[in-house]
Amino acid sequence: MLSEERRAHHEGALTEPASSRLVSPDIRDEFGLETIDMNMGPQHPAMHGLLRLILELDGETVVRCDPVMGYLHRCQEKIAENRMYPAVIPLTDRLDYFANMHNEHGYVLAVEDLLDVEIPPRAEYIRVLMCELMRLASHIPSIGFLMLELGAFTPILYAFRERERIQSIFEAVTGARMMFHYIRIGGVKADLPPDIPQKIWDYIESLEDHFQRDFVDLIAENEIFISRTRNVGKMTQEQAIEMGVTGPALRCTGVDFDIRRDYPYSIYPELEFDVITDTAGDVEASYRVRIAECLQSIRLIKQCLEKMPEGEVMGDLGRRLRPEEGDGFGRVESPRGEFAVHVVSDGSDTPYRVHYRDPSFCNMQLLQEVIPGHYLPDIMPIMGLVDPVSGGWDK
Amino acid sequence: MQTVLNLLEVEPIRLLVSFGAVLFLVLNLAAVLTMAERKVSGYIHLRFGPNRVGPRGLLQPAADVFKLFTKENVSPGRSDLWVFLGAPIAMFIPAALVWLVVPFAPNAVVADLNVAILFFVAITSIGALGVVMAGYGSRSAFSLLGALRGAAQMISYEVPLILSLLGVVMLTGSLSLADVVRAQGDTIWTWYFLPQLPMFVTFYIAGLAEVKRVPFDLPEGESEIVGGYMVEYSGMTWALIQAAEFASMAVMSAVTVTLFVGGWQPPLPFLDLGNFNWVWFGIKTALIMFTFQWIRWSVPRLRMDQLMDLGWKILVPITLIWLFVTAGAILIF
Repeated sequence: MLSEERRAHHEGALTEPASSRLVSPDIRDEFGLETIDMNMGPQHPAMHGLLRLILELDGETVVRCDPVMGYLHRCQEKIAENRMYPAVIPLTDRLDYFANMHNEHGYVLAVEDLLDVEIPPRAEYIRVLMCELMRLASHIPSIGFLMLELGAFTPILYAFRERERIQSIFEAVTGARMMFHYIRIGGVKADLPPDIPQKIWDYIESLEDHFQRDFVDLIAENEIFISRTRNVGKMTQEQAIEMGVTGPALRCTGVDFDIRRDYPYSIYPELEFDVITDTAGDVEASYRVRIAECLQSIRLIKQCLEKMPEGEVMGDLGRRLRPEEGDGFGRVESPRGEFAVHVVSDGSDTPYRVHYRDPSFCNMQLLQEVIPGHYLPDIMPIMGLVDPVSGGWDK
Repeated sequence: MQTVLNLLEVEPIRLLVSFGAVLFLVLNLAAVLTMAERKVSGYIHLRFGPNRVGPRGLLQPAADVFKLFTKENVSPGRSDLWVFLGAPIAMFIPAALVWLVVPFAPNAVVADLNVAILFFVAITSIGALGVVMAGYGSRSAFSLLGALRGAAQMISYEVPLILSLLGVVMLTGSLSLADVVRAQGDTIWTWYFLPQLPMFVTFYIAGLAEVKRVPFDLPEGESEIVGGYMVEYSGMTWALIQAAEFASMAVMSAVTVTLFVGGWQPPLPFLDLGNFNWVWFGIKTALIMFTFQWIRWSVPRLRMDQLMDLGWKILVPITLIWLFVTAGAILIF
């Protein structure tokens, strides 16, 4: 149970319109009304992974929300300390399992920062191509999840149809549908199979054809969708920055921040894309941002396919990696926000320390600030706004 | 054979036999409807739905029922057992009872009450009792919230539901459902859904809310309260709740058809099938039920405050205004 002090803090965090939903203390005392304590999760069918929310409910209004995490903790960072540098990559696949390519890319960037190696340009293009496909495979289902949480079951199946097709592309390229182990230190595992660029191109064009129909026309103008998401989970830019939120959840408040442009890595400076922002800062805005980012990803994929140079896909690193003492840092824009990796080397062939800054974990702080004052059914759309993945927040 | 049929002339025996037949129909309907629901959702989702058990998956309901019969009936340790076990029954009986007054064909109605509409209204409102019992008896925060939502919703939507069928009562001048159907005539443009269009739409929406279908399935709300009042039920008690839900959905479409879409009447006079006019009734009811399912798989769910706003601020005023319009029209013509 929380101390009185923290409880007072939470009640103070309520915004004005929200607090008007609460029963006034006088009436509460007069009729002896009490709040209900409720456990949502960790085994909750609609919760994003193994998250437990301790809720205090006043009728349907949430007075207090305490996220409890740690149900999927696998000691990823500690295990990484006992593995040789290349052997950590398959572990990073298991972090945020909706952004495996980005995890690999982030870790590999950190190690390459340590080693100071030259990456063949074709490998860079393939990395970005895969990461943008991964972003599509994460954003589209997250739109589906949002709708599922609002009670509409159909969009999730349309979303997973797209994800399945992208996964088939991944399978053809990497040999795995989720746990790729494809981006390696110094390049990528293998070149693209000869027929794959055309397949990706065909898929992207077919996606463009029905993207508007399946994910915009079906959802965006729906009266119930608007009434359930507009002004729900509203936060200001200051709040979002203060809480360290990144990714679509930050950009939907109007903060123009994207690692791909502001701290460029790989070949992003050579590619044209827009950073999508919205001003509303609510669940509907985050939906709009995700939709627009999907279109930007399609644009990036097309550019990658057009500009992709020929050549090697793996740099020459030697058989055993022993970086000099020091630290390496890599940050990528994952579908959920900034994914950063800090690797410290002590000169041996295993990292001295690996730290992952996962956006799911950092964005989670939003929950206890934003949820109090909302109704119970609003929790789920707000989860859709944050869109955390349990492999990400529990490392 | 003749003597057996003569026995049916005796009133209590006729009632018992016909109620038995209706109960049989309702229970089977629930099974068929689960199948229909899964097939409709399948096609909306661009997949096949169940297609493994029997030819084209048609035996799936039988397999489902068999599975539910063989499941253990678990009740929470701290539950109020009598209330907990009584709730599914309290939900199912009202849903089945309304069928007593629904006219399937000119002379095929179990009890042609002269207050059938009143009976329908009274029995439907009992359904809320079962929901509250289920939520209270389970003694779980999720169930309690679901039950409170259910009670608030069903009682609130009773008001537009009753108001919207008053127009039909005024036009017919009778509370008997058979009279309502007879008064609508055998052409599609004399049915009441045209002159009473706002009332028809209101009745349809309120009916959706009354049977707790999407977008009004807040008592169930599987994404936040995980099934609401039925979260603790399993096995046959759960099956009974499901049967009650489907039965009340079917009865709501049957009553909608009876009141607004001409019951057993054929859409045009030359399509009159004589003794087989119940086919028309069946087709229309199935169509309305299909729209229920179509809506269910197409739209998200409302929130409690929005639900109440819709009921009290939009539906009730519409029905009141149209009640005055109807009264004025009757007075003038």
